[in-house]
Amino acid sequence: MNKKIWKNKLFRWENALILILITEIIIFGLLNPKFLQARVLLGSINDFISICIISLFVTFVMITGGMDIQAGAIVGLTSISLGVLWQDAGLNIWAAVFVAILLGGICGAISGFFVAFAGVQAMVVTLGGQFLYSGLALAVVNLSSSSAFEGISGFPNSFIKLASGKIFGIPNQVIIFIVLIAISYILLHKTKYGRYVFLCGINKNAAIYSGIKTKLIIMSTYILSGMSASIAGIVLTSYLGSARADLGKELTLPIITAVVLGGTSNLGGKGGVFGTALAAVVIGIMRFGLVMAGLPTQYLDIPIGLLLIVAVAARTISSNPGFVRKAGKLFKRA
Amino acid sequence: MKLVNRILKAREISSLAFLVAMFLIVGAVNPTFLQVKNLFLTFNGSVVYILLAVGIAFVILCGEIDVSIGATLGLSAAVSATLLRDGSSWLAAIIAAIAVGVTIGLINGIGVTVFKVPSIIMTLGVNGVVRGSIYVYTNGKWVENVPFEFKALSQATFMNALTYFLLGTIILTVVVHFILTKTKKGRYFAAVGDNMSGATLIGIPVEGTKIVAYIACGIFAALAGLMYVSRVGFVTPTAGNGYEMKAIAACVLGGISLAGGVGTVIGAAIGSVIMSSISRVLVFLQFSSDYDNTITGILLILIVVADSLIQRRLAEKARRKRLSARTLEEVGGGSNE
Amino acid sequence: MSTIGEPPISNAMISIRGICKSFSSNSVLKGIDLDVHSGEVIALIGGNGAGKSTLMKIIMGIYQQDAGTIYLNGEKVNMSKPSVALAHGIYLVPQEPMLFPNMSVEENIAIGFSDKKKELHTRIVEIMDQLGWNIRLDRKANTLSIAEQQLVEIVRGLLRNANILILDEPTSSLTFNEIKSLFQLIEDLKKKGICIFYITHRLTEVFEIATHVAIMRDGMITLKGSVINFTKEDLIKGLLPPEAKMKNTEKTEDNIEYSKLKPAFETKGFSGYGFRDINIEVYPGEILGVAGVVGAGRTEFATTVFGMDEVKSGQVFLGGEDITGLSTRQVLDKGLNYVPEDRHLNGIFKIGEVGVNISSAFLRNSSKFFLNTKAEKQLADKYIKDFRIKVTGQDQIMGSLSGGNQQKAVIARVLSTSPKVVILDEPTRGIDAGARCDVYAIINQLKKQGVAVLLISSDFEEIVELSDRVVTMYQGRINYRFNKKQITLDNLTAASFGVYEEDAYEIGE
Repeated sequence: MNKKIWKNKLFRWENALILILITEIIIFGLLNPKFLQARVLLGSINDFISICIISLFVTFVMITGGMDIQAGAIVGLTSISLGVLWQDAGLNIWAAVFVAILLGGICGAISGFFVAFAGVQAMVVTLGGQFLYSGLALAVVNLSSSSAFEGISGFPNSFIKLASGKIFGIPNQVIIFIVLIAISYILLHKTKYGRYVFLCGINKNAAIYSGIKTKLIIMSTYILSGMSASIAGIVLTSYLGSARADLGKELTLPIITAVVLGGTSNLGGKGGVFGTALAAVVIGIMRFGLVMAGLPTQYLDIPIGLLLIVAVAARTISSNPGFVRKAGKLFKRA
Repeated sequence: MKLVNRILKAREISSLAFLVAMFLIVGAVNPTFLQVKNLFLTFNGSVVYILLAVGIAFVILCGEIDVSIGATLGLSAAVSATLLRDGSSWLAAIIAAIAVGVTIGLINGIGVTVFKVPSIIMTLGVNGVVRGSIYVYTNGKWVENVPFEFKALSQATFMNALTYFLLGTIILTVVVHFILTKTKKGRYFAAVGDNMSGATLIGIPVEGTKIVAYIACGIFAALAGLMYVSRVGFVTPTAGNGYEMKAIAACVLGGISLAGGVGTVIGAAIGSVIMSSISRVLVFLQFSSDYDNTITGILLILIVVADSLIQRRLAEKARRKRLSARTLEEVGGGSNE
Repeated sequence: MSTIGEPPISNAMISIRGICKSFSSNSVLKGIDLDVHSGEVIALIGGNGAGKSTLMKIIMGIYQQDAGTIYLNGEKVNMSKPSVALAHGIYLVPQEPMLFPNMSVEENIAIGFSDKKKELHTRIVEIMDQLGWNIRLDRKANTLSIAEQQLVEIVRGLLRNANILILDEPTSSLTFNEIKSLFQLIEDLKKKGICIFYITHRLTEVFEIATHVAIMRDGMITLKGSVINFTKEDLIKGLLPPEAKMKNTEKTEDNIEYSKLKPAFETKGFSGYGFRDINIEVYPGEILGVAGVVGAGRTEFATTVFGMDEVKSGQVFLGGEDITGLSTRQVLDKGLNYVPEDRHLNGIFKIGEVGVNISSAFLRNSSKFFLNTKAEKQLADKYIKDFRIKVTGQDQIMGSLSGGNQQKAVIARVLSTSPKVVILDEPTRGIDAGARCDVYAIINQLKKQGVAVLLISSDFEEIVELSDRVVTMYQGRINYRFNKKQITLDNLTAASFGVYEEDAYEIGE
């Protein structure tokens, strides 16, 4: 029985990620001992909670063979909408939160609809969505009495507590992350719906022939990822205490990297929640650690970008035993 | 007559029609837009976009994508601007910029063909790396004090209307169009995108073609970067941010299908003029520039959806026609029905 | 796994020695030796999965052999990629045309040539005149019919002055006249000294056009030599595995009492894309064979019934209930299921586990929200046992199963919804003899259980063996119906080619 588990590639990969995580923590700890303090380590999640939350559900999208580049833009749109709904429309903060999550779902639904029903390439629709939703965020700012630069602040304490509070000493954000991991895990791996998601990704035609409503399933994954972007936006707004239209701008790369690094194949049909969660933490810790070690934030995309490329390229090499030989031949040809 | 018919049927005509319609509508709302002076400002202002779109057209024709061209533009602009600021010759700056473009293109091409990384992921990763590299290279600072003569280049006009940049870009576009449609190797790009296995079967070097496409794309991004330096006069670390999306939108607007195999760089150029006009159009219609992204996003989604629906429609019609052709319309010739 | 064949005959245009090829664990070619001389046409016949296409792709450089050598005129050649093969004058006209849909016919033919456009144009026009084929050169390739596309492919090969031409099932979509022209062309090419590999499943063509024949079965050549040395029966014998004919499943001689039954499945004037005016009934406990050649419209009929395409006119009834135009899921729920023709494209979840494959249609009814893994496992276990699916466990990845086992798993999935009517489309294509027998047993079991079975197959022997009644489809219509006594290989073949002579009559319903 143990042998079978170890044979499972995904499981092996997840263990490799755990190892990488531990290595990271050790290295960064050596560079800056403050890093190893539990308070700091656990608190670091504030920095990358968005990546964690969103990548969990972008996993669903990518398992169907799709792509979601607009999640980052939805974060900003959600944040500023939340602010405007609360400050200028006078909604109760929690009602505003509810509407904001709905909004994220709608954004996802629009793109998901075009991907699933009109057969448009996911990458392009969400690329357009990225611009549309970030543009809309700016438009929403104009609806408010505040300027884009200052954002909206002054949220009620109950809302601020959402991100900054602690339960039994564990930061709320960590708890939120764990809860979402549980939800996404159950959804993806334990329900019929999750199985349908996988089947649509492995072979959409065969899924149709099995009587599965593939279009709805595919569209729903975008709704999920849109809502997760909303949730991330809400948590981020709570943590910063300020609603801003430009939140989430730089998230696309780390999110995709987390999903791919976590073992989800870009071709669809393979992947898992745990892998993504681990990879998101690996990436988050890496960013956090690098910053603590003194790397300017604008440089962060370099290691992440490299990580993404290497992760996918390595997969090609590992699944293709004759690769080195073939690559050599290719260069001889050229 | 046949030639005229063929021209009329081209997808580029609908793009051109859209452009003209847009201009006319804006002109109706605000006639100053149609003043010759303003029109030329619009056209001259689109050179950077045209170059980017023409470059990315190579890649899209092959059926791939490149979301790193904005970063490539930024890095080559930063490098060339720095060299110019520090007193290098123009030639050195130009060569350096192109070298940047070639290198990034080569990396993209090898990642996609040799390591089989899907192009969206490869170019996304490269985009991140290059963006970060710009910060490293410039130390996070703006590159300013570009020599005045270099900046003046962008203002130099031919007959007081078209800038030499625009003229050169147009000529370059026409030459590229000729290469892609009339030469043997130029046809390979569209062939690869149209039917990759068919291309292999007929002996076309698919991988080599894609690598060349990415390199060409990188070179055009570098040229765009040079023009950017001359026009804008300084380079920030975020130069070129988001330009890739506009370039892709331009291509789609110009009749290039994202599935590959269809479209011309002429269309890409027309699409670029449309894209670059949008912000100007917004000004003339007295919209805040904040709506730039929104409009572009809506436009892109609409175009892409329309394009996909039309393609699917055509494919479905062709399929049905084929099937119906196989069916005997009348009963006859042996049957016991 | 290389066989050491005799040294190449140097006057052969092309010699193959010991070619072996495996895909994953699937051994497709197990040591092929072949010689073809100038001016010869060698017909390559064999069932699906015998390895013919793979062998041709190796010659063309699309695949590389695991072992073995190819010699051209006595010299060893390494076909590392198609351009190498092209440079040596080899050209493959694929079974599925591989044109560039958005380019014109002329562009498709001329691509890759550096010559002047005018010269090429003249040469192309010359070739097309010689062939007597009338296709406008400026048409876009995606507007051409499959037959026309095939013609364009052939012209491509001719323009390249190929001296070794590979034709992969060239006549499958051609009309009678087009076939005549093609054969005339082949005669001309023979005279010019060009050698041709001619893959076909039509035995009559072998005797019309080929000089030599080679039969492939399960990756090996079982018979080869000059055509004059063989009769049709010899060829048929060479095609069948020695045991299969013996394992004759109890051919139920019991006649179905049609007068006492109501049809479980019925279509009236059913027309769609690719088929017209189909009127059939299938009764519970009977197997209705639907014979025909590729392109006759059988699959299109089945998929349209299954909700995959638009209905043009007519009706479909399931147990008396009108199910015309219902979606796939609805049709499934009503009790009809379909085993897709192309299991790779539409049937298998390749990177999924076998258990997941089998349960994919069953999931819907197995539980409300959460997965009922216990029920799933039981289901998969049952079918793995009953159908004798060879797996190391339910968690084995589907892609690593043999074709036969994959097919059995797909059938298992289809049956897991307990349908009252099952449509099987080429259920034994590309599977080994042992699995084929298992599938026949499954089908007969269905019959015993009172399921109405529609068996679509291009394997006429299969239809003869299993069917209670047969309809043949030709060019989208049903042209003949046969009752049990009339179901013979010759009748079916003739009818499928639209050349049936004698009278057949409809069985009273």
